[in-house]
Amino acid sequence: MLFLQLLLSGIQTGAIYALTAAGFALIFGATRIFHVAHGATFALAGYAFLACSQAGLPWFVGCLAALLIAVGFGLAMDAFIYRPIQRHEGSFFTVFVAAFGMTIAVQSLIEIGFGRGFAVVDTPLTMARAVVPGLYLADIFWVATGVALVLFILVTLFLERTRAGIGLRALSENPELLRAYGLSSRRLSALAFGLGSALAVPGAVLTAATSGLQPAISAQVMLISLAAAVVGGIGSLRGAALAGLLLGVVENLVISAVDTQWSSAAGFVVLFAFILFRPSGLFGQAVTR
Amino acid sequence: MLQRRIFLLATAAGLAAPGILRAQGSPYVVGTLFPMSGPNAEYGMLFTNAVQLAFEHIKADGMLKRPIDLRAQDSLATPQGGAVGMQKLASVDGAPYVMLGFTGVSKAAAPIGTRSKVMMVNGGGVGPDLAGLSPYFWNVIPLVNQEVKALLPWLQQKSLKRVALIYVDDPLGNSVLEQLRKGLPGVGGELVDTYSVPPAAQQFAAVAAKVRSANPDAVYFASYGAQQSQIIKQLRDNGIRQQLLTYSAGSIPSVLSLPESEGLVYTSQAADWSSAQDPVTQRFVKDWRAKYNSDPSIYHQNYYNAMRLFGLLAQELEKAGTPVNGENLLQTLLKVRQFTFVGGEGTFQDNGTLELPMQINQIHDGRAQKIA
Repeated sequence: MLFLQLLLSGIQTGAIYALTAAGFALIFGATRIFHVAHGATFALAGYAFLACSQAGLPWFVGCLAALLIAVGFGLAMDAFIYRPIQRHEGSFFTVFVAAFGMTIAVQSLIEIGFGRGFAVVDTPLTMARAVVPGLYLADIFWVATGVALVLFILVTLFLERTRAGIGLRALSENPELLRAYGLSSRRLSALAFGLGSALAVPGAVLTAATSGLQPAISAQVMLISLAAAVVGGIGSLRGAALAGLLLGVVENLVISAVDTQWSSAAGFVVLFAFILFRPSGLFGQAVTR
Repeated sequence: MLQRRIFLLATAAGLAAPGILRAQGSPYVVGTLFPMSGPNAEYGMLFTNAVQLAFEHIKADGMLKRPIDLRAQDSLATPQGGAVGMQKLASVDGAPYVMLGFTGVSKAAAPIGTRSKVMMVNGGGVGPDLAGLSPYFWNVIPLVNQEVKALLPWLQQKSLKRVALIYVDDPLGNSVLEQLRKGLPGVGGELVDTYSVPPAAQQFAAVAAKVRSANPDAVYFASYGAQQSQIIKQLRDNGIRQQLLTYSAGSIPSVLSLPESEGLVYTSQAADWSSAQDPVTQRFVKDWRAKYNSDPSIYHQNYYNAMRLFGLLAQELEKAGTPVNGENLLQTLLKVRQFTFVGGEGTFQDNGTLELPMQINQIHDGRAQKIA
């Protein structure tokens, strides 16, 4: 029963990880911009939801506010940070430092607005009940897995069946060719940031209700996003989502065999294994030089 | 030519004069090495607020002839941050007196401070090995061995015999593990299972599942910062209904205000603000309430005392006409030993600790109540 319990806990954690990593993977896959500030997007969305909840507003208003703030921040990063840097042919490190600096600025702003402590949105959905003797499950499990599943189906359909989605996939490969087909790489880049940032919202809202928020959460979010992006295959949304799920499940299941101390480390053992034995990740494509 | 030399000499003297004047009345540099960012930044804010209140009182009372210049370094609550911060405070800022917290930070900073003859005062770290850490290292907080010792008779009285421990894998957590392992058999109890977690861990659903399998009477957690709230919430969310126990780190506002903390029991030094009779405590409580519209916590008390200690020691040195440096501050502390602090008279022991009475608290409706 302990194994089953750990598996279900792992699926819940993994669903949140998958939602967390997907946005980063989508932005990186389309624009090749190492968007470190994705963690800040996540934090802003979480705290926007928290603020609405503290103000007594209904949950869907909180979700909408989180969505607006996340998308607004993502678009602003693209328009006012990355694009000017790219115009001046800024290197990868310039982009990284700018995004990292913005993450620190957002963290400081959150500390000023919400304090430096732990904050959580209180909801009965997180209270687990015994479904069978010895097996506990909270309603948030179904919400997390359901939302993750529906969102990935929708985003996959969008990427594969729509002109804009196909354009997004092509953006990283050949921006010149896009122009020949009458598509604007600038607009597509904005779409990638808008959509990728929007994908951070469900993970942020679920985290606000389950493990809670603190201003420095961005670092943890980026760690998960990076690990999932590498394991899933750089740039693959499907891969990042599956890898997020895998990391969550491994983190939880491993403690049935080893000390709880090794829970977080186990996820990164998986990461190292992929780097060593399958560097292209789950769904990445091997490239020859 | 002569006129030009006189002019240059006069200019040089003019430029040097403010420097000489500054040297005569230059401020005393006092350092703080608290976590000001990251998951433990809440503590940094608590500690700093208390230092600032004591600083204001020292200034208002005209205790010292020279002003105090507070210099802050962010320890990040990590040993590495502690070492880097102490190096800067000792070498760059030249602080003879540094207030710090957290066991890992203190252990990393102490050798650097000792080498530079900086007097260090801890009001937040509780690892037992902070006793006797260095001749320059002093604690104004009871260490966790005293806290666990105070809790054991209460566990026996409440028939909470089977205890599970969740502890952060660092010097503090390992100290609590050792104390419980040694102490529980003495009161007819046992440590049924232990779960070590990394300091940055945030997911505890799996730990909760293992706790449930062990079926203890009570769960003690030894962590700090945002992680403690995550542990409490996730244990409760995952069906752990047993008594939760912790040490004084549980007294921070984010733990008190968490609905899942209802019933949580934690130990701390005795702090009964309502019945305080001495003027130092009364003034501290009155001004704290006026400034922050809430009751002070034990951390506020400790860091107020830490800053006040500097004022008292420097005052003694000024009276004697001796320079205020780390060596002299230490000699004065060893000579005086007993000081009037918030909470009453405090006497420093040879091992660098301050003996204080303990109490057991329980959280009800977001407030801590003394239960034993």
